[in-house]
Amino acid sequence: MPVHLTINDKPVQAHEGQTVLEAACAHGIVIPTLCYHKDLSPVGSCRLCIVEVDKLRGQVAACNLPVAEGLVVHTETPALVQSRRTVLSLLLQNYTDAGYTSHDGHTTEFEHWVRYYEARLPDGTSPAPRYPLDGDPNPFIWVDLNKCILCTRCVRACEEVQGRFVWGVGERGSYTRIIAGADTAMLEARCESCGACAAYCPTGALDHKLSIRQGEADRKVTTTCTYCGVGCQFDLNVKNGKVIRVTSNPNAPVNGMHLCVKGRYGYDFIHHPDRLTGPRVRRYLLEEGEKVLHGPAWDWVETDWNTALDITARKLAATRDHYGGSSIGVLTSAKCLNEENYLMNKLARQVLGTHNIDHCARL
Amino acid sequence: MTNSKIKFKPVSPQIEALVREHGSQPQAVLEMLVELQTQHGILTREMLDDVARLLELPAARVYGIASFYSMLEVAETAQSFAMSKIRVCDGPVCWLCGGDVTSIGDAVRAEHPDWKVERTSCLGLCDRAPAVLVDNEQAGPVLAEKVSAILAGENVKSIDYSLPRPGEVRVTLAHAGKVDPDSLESALSVGAYQGLQAALKRTYEEVISEVENSNLNGRGGAGFPAGRKWRFVAAAARTPKFVVCNADESEPLIFKDRVLIDTNPHQILEGMAIAAYAVGASSGYIYIRGEYVSQAQRLERAIEQAERSGWLGENIAGSSFSFQVHIHRGAGAYICGEETALLESLEGKRGEPRVRPPYPPTSGYRNLPTLVNNVESFAAVPHILQRGANWYKNLSDNSAGGTKLYMLLGHVNRPGLFEAPFGLTLRQIINDFGGGLRPGSKFHFALCGGAAGTIVDESLLDTPIDYASAGKGISLGAGAFLVCDERVSPVAMLRELMHFFAVESCGKCTPCREGTRRAYDLLVCLAEGGGRPGDLEELARLASVMQAASFCGLGQSVHLPVTSALRHFENEFAAGIRS
Repeated sequence: MPVHLTINDKPVQAHEGQTVLEAACAHGIVIPTLCYHKDLSPVGSCRLCIVEVDKLRGQVAACNLPVAEGLVVHTETPALVQSRRTVLSLLLQNYTDAGYTSHDGHTTEFEHWVRYYEARLPDGTSPAPRYPLDGDPNPFIWVDLNKCILCTRCVRACEEVQGRFVWGVGERGSYTRIIAGADTAMLEARCESCGACAAYCPTGALDHKLSIRQGEADRKVTTTCTYCGVGCQFDLNVKNGKVIRVTSNPNAPVNGMHLCVKGRYGYDFIHHPDRLTGPRVRRYLLEEGEKVLHGPAWDWVETDWNTALDITARKLAATRDHYGGSSIGVLTSAKCLNEENYLMNKLARQVLGTHNIDHCARL
Repeated sequence: MTNSKIKFKPVSPQIEALVREHGSQPQAVLEMLVELQTQHGILTREMLDDVARLLELPAARVYGIASFYSMLEVAETAQSFAMSKIRVCDGPVCWLCGGDVTSIGDAVRAEHPDWKVERTSCLGLCDRAPAVLVDNEQAGPVLAEKVSAILAGENVKSIDYSLPRPGEVRVTLAHAGKVDPDSLESALSVGAYQGLQAALKRTYEEVISEVENSNLNGRGGAGFPAGRKWRFVAAAARTPKFVVCNADESEPLIFKDRVLIDTNPHQILEGMAIAAYAVGASSGYIYIRGEYVSQAQRLERAIEQAERSGWLGENIAGSSFSFQVHIHRGAGAYICGEETALLESLEGKRGEPRVRPPYPPTSGYRNLPTLVNNVESFAAVPHILQRGANWYKNLSDNSAGGTKLYMLLGHVNRPGLFEAPFGLTLRQIINDFGGGLRPGSKFHFALCGGAAGTIVDESLLDTPIDYASAGKGISLGAGAFLVCDERVSPVAMLRELMHFFAVESCGKCTPCREGTRRAYDLLVCLAEGGGRPGDLEELARLASVMQAASFCGLGQSVHLPVTSALRHFENEFAAGIRS
């Protein structure tokens, strides 16, 4: 059912069940948000997305205001600007940026809105830090609650995206803080280090530990994760030819913002000196000599793909012909795509003549 | 083969037993934590982990609950506890009456070095200020030099409200002091449960109409017409439905519900049963603040008596109507008086208000249709059913029907609680009911409504007060009036109020969580003469942002004392700015 409303004097058509914020977004009208994220359930607590609605008292949060026929909404009145500036300055009171360059060259959402609404502390001073800078021993996730604005996006990301329920809200009033488990270290609270909390954090209070002080990337390369067949996409943040960070790409068709610990943090293999970049065969195979399990004949020799594949094909065919197809077993990899695994299945059953085929993900 | 990295610790049998008793309901987590704390004096992380494991809740959520409520305390490790705990109220009324946490604490420790002394927000004992809670015993007034008497068990009797003041019209207080609150027979002898009997002879629709026609407005402070709320719940399609009695009165200045429970608990149960019959509910909860231990026990006793005699429970008075009432104790949080926060807390969560809509009448406790009314509202209902809507309505010559409980505090000759019609003026309240100002006192200002009420000067002494008078600058709220003479600075009073709001904010939304803290910091400076130019403007701006943009009614109402005090006493605020 279409619903008609007016936002900033502009007629807007929305559909039933949408919120005013979603309807505005769909029509290119920007309403500032901090605690809201399209992937997460709205809580309406930061009070930045407040709007004025004719015939409604006060300023209401657009993120959980359902659209209704004939609603007349204003998103940027002087009173709203005043409220937003005040809300942001209040958040700045507890926000201490220790100055490390933690983010990937972009200002964070929080910094963006602080600048946009020219919010500053009333007396111009910087508040003293209240929490340790690197507050959790988790090897991948950086916790600096001095930058936390209690938007609870991390709590909801952990619950709703990852389903781990690590984060929660503790204490109350101005002592309210984000806690892991029963106020323990993240790993003790069943954290899988997927980094979703850091990906959704709008301030950098939760960040990627491996990337802290790595500086700004020159470019981003959107790629598909090589770890498994799910096909998650993300952006490699590259600086001087080196990957310094992996960031979620919200447009990734399979996974959206979601990644696992391997995809987000397991990128050190890319530049590792032990990484294989071409096929290798044992020297005796290359030289078509006798099989010797030691000495120079057993050494690995780098070669080209054609040579390596020829040797493999020859050896497989010889084994099949001599011992029969069922003497061969095939083990495929979770790192292969579905299509690749399908082809391996064909190869095993139709070419090699074996039904001994399995996959590492079953082990 | 064992893996040394896997740490497995069996759950403590005591906690297992507790969970069995409560039926491993996640809703019971708050009650279980309260019980654990009572048994051990403290909660440890291990206990929280065990509770989380058995209830299949995330540990973070259980810790979040335990750290939210002020009466629960989480410690690193179990401590030996044989000592008593004394909670000293630092609410604005106790402050005004000379209560001081430090000096009372020192005096207590001098006698009992092993006792624990804690500050606490308002205890709901404003008529006995300065007040303390010795373990679960309410005591007051207590001053540092007389602590020994309190510790020896004196000053623990509540104030006697059996004698009406001249001009009082008593309905809910009619039997105060005249019946034994712990005896059903005594209550029956003055007509208890006759309103329920009258209701059961009529249709649901007739009962709702009767309440509607009585012009009974919700007595919690907002004044929403009770009958209309009942109709919403009755019209809601889903079942089961619930009736919830809000007995979480945690706002400074307010103590009427405590007196109602202490003087006539059956009247409240009867009102709830009538409401349940009218809206089609078969179970009800009384959410009572954690500090009201003896009141909770009194209600529990009353429920048991009523159930035994067939006034509650299955097939009430031989009809097909059944209604069970349960007591749910809070654990120290002002915010839980907000009805959606109360429902969250009733479900065993942190008491954070919910997004509205949906409203409780369609989606309340466990997301089912729920009627939430205040103790005083329920207490009036039996009388309406017994004596008719017109009789009740005409008790007041006002758009609001019936009578109201007024709490008068501060520098008057006869402070305390009384019942009277709507539309009194502050001058009438002070002079006719309060015996005038104390000798030597001159009226300076009054805080009207409650802590989140309006601070008024003498220009509003003659304005009739009702639910609509807030528009004229003087609010009725829950009906409390704190009168201060010229020795009290409105700036210091506002500072005390703001301290309460900052400590009691749930922390969910930015304007209330950070705004109250910032306003408190400003007021501390202003009250000591150390304010800076621009502070008053900032205070006013904070108030207006809190009013417009806060998540719930409690955050929105913080602006009332601020803006009204700034309007009437700008000079005194300006004097706090360092020149």
